[in-house]
Amino acid sequence: MLYELRSLKKTYGERTVLDIGELSLAAGKVLGILGPNGAGKTTLLEILAFLQVPTSGELQFNGKKVDFSNNGLIQLRRKVVIVGQHPILFTATVSKNLEFPLGIRKLPKVNREKIIEELLDLVGMRPFQNSRAHRLSGGETQRVAIARALACSPEVILFDEPTANVDVENQIAIERIIQEINREKGISVIFTTHDMVQASRLADDTIFLYDGKTTHSTYENIFSGLIEVTEEGRKYCLVQKQLTLGVQTHQSGPVRIFIDPTLVKITSNQSEVAAENTFCGRLIQLTDEQSRIRALVDVGIPLSVLIPKEQFKNMCLSPGEAVCLTCPAESIKII
Amino acid sequence: MEFLTDSFMSAFVLLWGLDQELLQIIYVSLKVSSISTLVASMIGIPAGFFIAFGEFRGKRLLVTVLNTLLALPTVVVGLFVYAFISRRGIFGPWDLLYTQKAIVIGQVILIIPIVTTFTISAISRIDERYRKTAMTLGANALQTAWLIIREARFGIVAAVVAAYGRVIAEVGISMMLGGNAKGFTRTMTTAMALEYDKGEFVLGVALGIVLLAVSFGVNLCFNFMQGKARV
Repeated sequence: MLYELRSLKKTYGERTVLDIGELSLAAGKVLGILGPNGAGKTTLLEILAFLQVPTSGELQFNGKKVDFSNNGLIQLRRKVVIVGQHPILFTATVSKNLEFPLGIRKLPKVNREKIIEELLDLVGMRPFQNSRAHRLSGGETQRVAIARALACSPEVILFDEPTANVDVENQIAIERIIQEINREKGISVIFTTHDMVQASRLADDTIFLYDGKTTHSTYENIFSGLIEVTEEGRKYCLVQKQLTLGVQTHQSGPVRIFIDPTLVKITSNQSEVAAENTFCGRLIQLTDEQSRIRALVDVGIPLSVLIPKEQFKNMCLSPGEAVCLTCPAESIKII
Repeated sequence: MEFLTDSFMSAFVLLWGLDQELLQIIYVSLKVSSISTLVASMIGIPAGFFIAFGEFRGKRLLVTVLNTLLALPTVVVGLFVYAFISRRGIFGPWDLLYTQKAIVIGQVILIIPIVTTFTISAISRIDERYRKTAMTLGANALQTAWLIIREARFGIVAAVVAAYGRVIAEVGISMMLGGNAKGFTRTMTTAMALEYDKGEFVLGVALGIVLLAVSFGVNLCFNFMQGKARV
């Protein structure tokens, strides 16, 4: 295994930002870490890059326990490189930026230029070789930062929201680069994103992070709600002040509620409206995701449903159509 | 008014004629100020770096003290150093008083707070991501520190330039510790004070012109650095 995490925690004062029981990440793959803002994705990546020290727990890299207290971290850091969400380029030319990790690794000067040119070709930034790095756009900066990371010849590249701040053209280019460096150079890639479609498009495996914890479910369909009791004594959750969802729980007051998109039933039959926890709305988006189709339905709040492809073929759904969603009791979890 | 214009005319004649005494005074001034600035930079820049990055008890107090020392009067430094290097002082046997070394010691004490606080300010403005980027690219502590100093270079050079401007124009330390000995410790400012005492204005005005020119050059440099840093 590339990484193994056991009981890994990171706290800032009273606040726990990361609390992972057990997690194994395989080598040679593209792994997506999905999660909303503030889920602890960046903290996790920085620990995996040996830039942050976990408060407690154990991290193994290539089967060896990482000792965060000794100087051997530099050797580990030279195998793993992180490209931040807002990467920073040094106040120099693009070429000098790429030369920095090569100089650190004491690569002979004669070989440096060839490597720099090859890497800039890979990210499509060769014409900018002698440009001032600070004059580049966000997408160009991201691509140069990737080339600079590749100059480290790493075993692993960690990307923190690699396409969060770039336009579509650069997003396509960056996704292509990520796939290429994994397939052609055999570099393990771990990236964070809050874009499920991107994760399913790029990643061989995906893990979900929510509130610092890994979870088996996707983080989508998580809403804030308020649990109240009817006069008959039945509990319901008012989701985002829009949707009234019957729930079975001992909790009351403000909660976070998760509706499992794999368990929600979708139908174009309007006759089921009377059934409990059934809501009708308009189908606003359909996305192909490997073995399933993701349907996004506006029922007052945008609710995702994952439909197996076989089932989808028989349903003849199309965007704009009126559909109904039924959320069975097992699909609703109070977090 | 005629007296002032006459003094200016005579001063320009002195400068044009490259008067030996004038050149000696300018040489001593530039030499002493340059050495002081160099020594203070060698101490102040690393100190500023470690204070900016270090997490230790009393850090805020130390920064406050350094900020207070920015307004240190030159005569106070003169008195303080005099107490140590005069015949009765603990460094008395080293015969430092009324030498260029004594002026350098005083001036270094005067400008270390300037170089240090300006360096702290320049380093603190550098985004934390530079440090993390250097580390993830495999840099060790020294290489990371060097990179950050490089990124803060405009601010640090501005600190050095400001310190140089302070020492070239000070008179208290040079007078009290240098003694204004002709040909040895006479600087532009002490010579000007002496000429004023004598009621002789020609050399004083000539030195004033040179001093202003140097100060102008230093400030021009300072503004250039600041402008560069903003780009």
